[in-house]
Amino acid sequence: MVATTKTSSKKPEPVGPSPEARLSRLLGFYRQMLLIRRCEEESARAYAQGKIGGFLHLYIGQEAVAVGACAALRPDDYVVGTYRDHGLAIAKGMNVKQVLAELFGKVTGCSKGLGGSMHLFDAAHNMLGGYGIVGGHIPLAAGVAFASKYRQDGRVTLCFFGEGAVSIGGFHEACSLAALWKLPIVFICENNEYSMGTPLSRTMSVEDVSLKAGAYGMAKDRLFVRDVFDVEARVAEAVARARSTSEPTLIEARTYRFRGHSMSDPGKYRTPAELEEHKKNDTLAQARSALIAGGAGEKLAELETDVEREIEEAVRFAEESPEPTPDLLESTTYAGPFAR
Amino acid sequence: MAKLLEMPKLSPTMTEGQLTVWHKKEGDAVNVDDLLAEVETDKATMEFRSFDKGTLLKLLVPADSLVQLGQPVAIIGEQGEDISKLVPAQGAAPSTAAAGSKNGEAKEKPSTSAAPDTATATATPTATSTPTPTPTSESSAPTTATPSPDGRVRASPYVRKVARDRDIDLGGVAGSGPHGRIVARDLERAPATAPERALATRAEADDVRPLSMMRKTIARRLSESKQTVPHFYLTVDVDAAPIARLREQINDDLAAGTPRHEDGSDTPAPFKVSVNDLLIKACAIALVRVPQCNASFTPEALVFHRRVDISVAVAVPDGLLTPVVRQADRKSVVTIAQEVRELAARAKAKKLRPEEMSNGTFSISNLGMFGIDSFSAVINPPEGAILAVGKVRAEPVVWEGAIIAGQRLALTLSCDHRVVDGAVGAKFLAELRILIERPTQMLVL
Amino acid sequence: MPSIRYREALKQAMTEEMIRDERVFLLGEEVGYYQGAYKVSEGMLDKFGPKRVVDAPIAEAGFAGLGIGAAMVGLRPIIEFMTWNFSAVAFDQILCNAAKIRQMSGGQFTVPIVFRAPNGSAAQVGSQHSHAMEHFYAQIPGLKIIAPATPADAKGLLKTAIRDDNPVLCFESETLYSVKGEVPEDPDFLVPFGQANIARHGKDVTVVAWSRIVNVALDAAAKLEKEDIDVEVIDLRSLRPLDTDTIIASVAKTHRAVIAGEGWPYGGVGAEIVDRIQRLAFDELDAPIERVQTMDVPMPYNAKLEQLVIPQAAGIVEAVKRSLYRA
Repeated sequence: MVATTKTSSKKPEPVGPSPEARLSRLLGFYRQMLLIRRCEEESARAYAQGKIGGFLHLYIGQEAVAVGACAALRPDDYVVGTYRDHGLAIAKGMNVKQVLAELFGKVTGCSKGLGGSMHLFDAAHNMLGGYGIVGGHIPLAAGVAFASKYRQDGRVTLCFFGEGAVSIGGFHEACSLAALWKLPIVFICENNEYSMGTPLSRTMSVEDVSLKAGAYGMAKDRLFVRDVFDVEARVAEAVARARSTSEPTLIEARTYRFRGHSMSDPGKYRTPAELEEHKKNDTLAQARSALIAGGAGEKLAELETDVEREIEEAVRFAEESPEPTPDLLESTTYAGPFAR
Repeated sequence: MAKLLEMPKLSPTMTEGQLTVWHKKEGDAVNVDDLLAEVETDKATMEFRSFDKGTLLKLLVPADSLVQLGQPVAIIGEQGEDISKLVPAQGAAPSTAAAGSKNGEAKEKPSTSAAPDTATATATPTATSTPTPTPTSESSAPTTATPSPDGRVRASPYVRKVARDRDIDLGGVAGSGPHGRIVARDLERAPATAPERALATRAEADDVRPLSMMRKTIARRLSESKQTVPHFYLTVDVDAAPIARLREQINDDLAAGTPRHEDGSDTPAPFKVSVNDLLIKACAIALVRVPQCNASFTPEALVFHRRVDISVAVAVPDGLLTPVVRQADRKSVVTIAQEVRELAARAKAKKLRPEEMSNGTFSISNLGMFGIDSFSAVINPPEGAILAVGKVRAEPVVWEGAIIAGQRLALTLSCDHRVVDGAVGAKFLAELRILIERPTQMLVL
Repeated sequence: MPSIRYREALKQAMTEEMIRDERVFLLGEEVGYYQGAYKVSEGMLDKFGPKRVVDAPIAEAGFAGLGIGAAMVGLRPIIEFMTWNFSAVAFDQILCNAAKIRQMSGGQFTVPIVFRAPNGSAAQVGSQHSHAMEHFYAQIPGLKIIAPATPADAKGLLKTAIRDDNPVLCFESETLYSVKGEVPEDPDFLVPFGQANIARHGKDVTVVAWSRIVNVALDAAAKLEKEDIDVEVIDLRSLRPLDTDTIIASVAKTHRAVIAGEGWPYGGVGAEIVDRIQRLAFDELDAPIERVQTMDVPMPYNAKLEQLVIPQAAGIVEAVKRSLYRA
């Protein structure tokens, strides 16, 4: 049993061979993060307009985690996420149109409008869904990794969850099984400091989530998200471990969400000052500054116009798309004849 | 040791009785000679008193049940005693009803074709209200084989399907299931023999017809009325000429106002009001003036109604029904006439809903059209009075010292003495006389 | 046709399907080295090795969820719970994941998984180990529920379940595992879902039963035969889909129905059958539909009380007579 321990002080590996290449990659990351941010902002607007119903959990502030982590994957690797899944879906390659159409409950959505905001799935991009029961998807992700090991297909599964899920049994059972059976999986705890409205200090006896790995003899890592390259590098290391030696890793990524838990969250549990402090560390804004500083201003403007157009098109697409018809209800419940 | 209490013989000729009221309920202590229940026999309402001391453990028939002589009605014993062995006997009990037919009683099961009117009557919702204005002298009526306390035929869905398919009248089939439910095995026994028996009966004996639901209700309710309501009768003979003249005037005006087609063809017959319509209006006003007559007796209290809803007896082919003209005091006579026509038509077509035949406060029965001079009617409980109206008679009368051709009308008010006393009834009739003889009074409410 | 035990029939089904399809594997507590808590998987570890016969720790939510995830990406797991009682801690996995993923994903993902375990009462195993869990699961759209009563059906239904692309829950019985019966050897012997078996033909009363209680109903029918009552016993075999046609056709013939099965009387499969009969065969009924179920109390340990609480042949006999108004 190998228990590799990393500390957050470790310097990220240089990702590109040259500053130019790095700038070019940053442009790509920035584009994805901006796309997520704008998608979320437009979702919030559409929610306020009554075009999106139910729950809506925004990823604003945490974009660098999904984007950096997915950058460490191959296209055939799997991701499994929570109900706060729009960012992950886009980072894994899903079209914004499919995402927004799903949020709008339209048949052109990735789940034909039957899943909604919390349940984004895309088989083509190996996005295995967002799940609404806290911790319920973690054993499932272990099963996906189990299948990869069973088939020896060399794929890795990334499983995302919040620190709120660390208190529930599903997390522990999945860690236990993954470590026991050496499954090629990376557990990424996006610790955004609040389990809905309850701060970390009031939900866990141990603030360092990554310590939980020790009980299962699992490799761990812990990082404070400042930089998308850092996320990519740290996840890449865990992914490589999973792929080469089929060992799981628990990564705690300390991050912060700028919006409420969901749209109905007034956010009274934190102060405006705390929020403003965290916004200074907004990875999206920092990436933008870095791009300007690096001389990519012109490309940046082009990119931002392009993202605006893409978002605009996606919103229009979602608005204009037809709604799902009742005939889908039974055919999506069972494969084959309905069992009644 | 728990034992069954059976329907006792409370009159020399009694074969069955209507258990109308339980005076004890389950769990009550019972002493010898305590009043257990009241039973309507073919003669009278009798007291059913206990021969035993103990606790009433179970009532086997609800109040208002028709019970065969000897049929268990309750279980008496000691508190907490196990009566499960006795209870199932209840299921077997109704078979006494079937057995009754061998006594030569008329419990035949004619097919629908043998008694089509019965078949239609069964479909009529008469259960809630069927009083009669006519004095009835129903002899002890043959009951159907199905002892259903509320007169409803209880049958399993399957039995009903078979009955529909094979045209079997279930009213004549004895039910052996719980609460007299007709179940499949009852059909196996019944329908094969029923038609032959019915034919034989017709060929050599009386035309025996099973009771229709309406007839059962008439029989039950009017017996109850005559037996429990202390009737007394007040008769007046009034001058009907003014109201007859008023009727003509109204009808002339209605005829003048009837629209005519431009080509003069197919002119509809002008709508006419009847003397009876005017009497309904007059009674309604008289009841407002003498509200003590617009009343009901209940064991707890006298109820004086604030609404004037007049039940109007309507003869239908196999009985009678009493649709109610609501708030007759507030309606014009033409409106009343239209309502009565419409209700009567639907009554004859058996299309009245139960709620249209219940909750009247006063009844009018008119047999004038049958040439009856005068009669007294049976009160329609829980109403407190009923007015029996004869025909308008042309006869010589003395008018200011001279004999002239007059028109007279005999009105008999039957009153429930428990709520309407003689003086009150007389006051009502006095008011009514004024309204009939000086009908302009109807405008001076 | 060889006569084998119910547990061997289940093993044959799993073995044949694992030979037939590499994607099929068995995972659960004590399935491997221990040779199965009830010896259903005896010898399978030796035959298939630890990759395909996987001993799991006591973590039902974990390994049920793991099976579901593996099924999503193309494996065909057979998850054995030691008993269905223990599935309660994995209920969320079955309810929220196995049954819902297909619809939540707009039909992109299916979950071809089998959960199987003994169910219902055994012998004095007490309150927490005697649940009839099929009622909870039969209510959930997206799942299929089977409850074989005979060794042949155990094999044929389980093989069909393993080949099905949907989550299938197989409810076995500890008291059936030793029952012997003739079982076809054909590796393609399948019993389709949604086709009840008329275990005994009769004309007077229809008794609808499943799993272990089918045998109890047949006992009752034999007793009633001596009283000239001819009972038809329907073995449902699958509870979802439910073979409504066979039930209705039988009730149309007998006009009386008794539902017999383990599980509390409030709601459940029995109530569902009653509902279907009253809606679809209302005009055929000559008597109220009777139900013979587990008494409405937790299972007591005391042997006599346990027998009182569990549906018995005598109870079915009484119910049949009530429906014939012969009580």
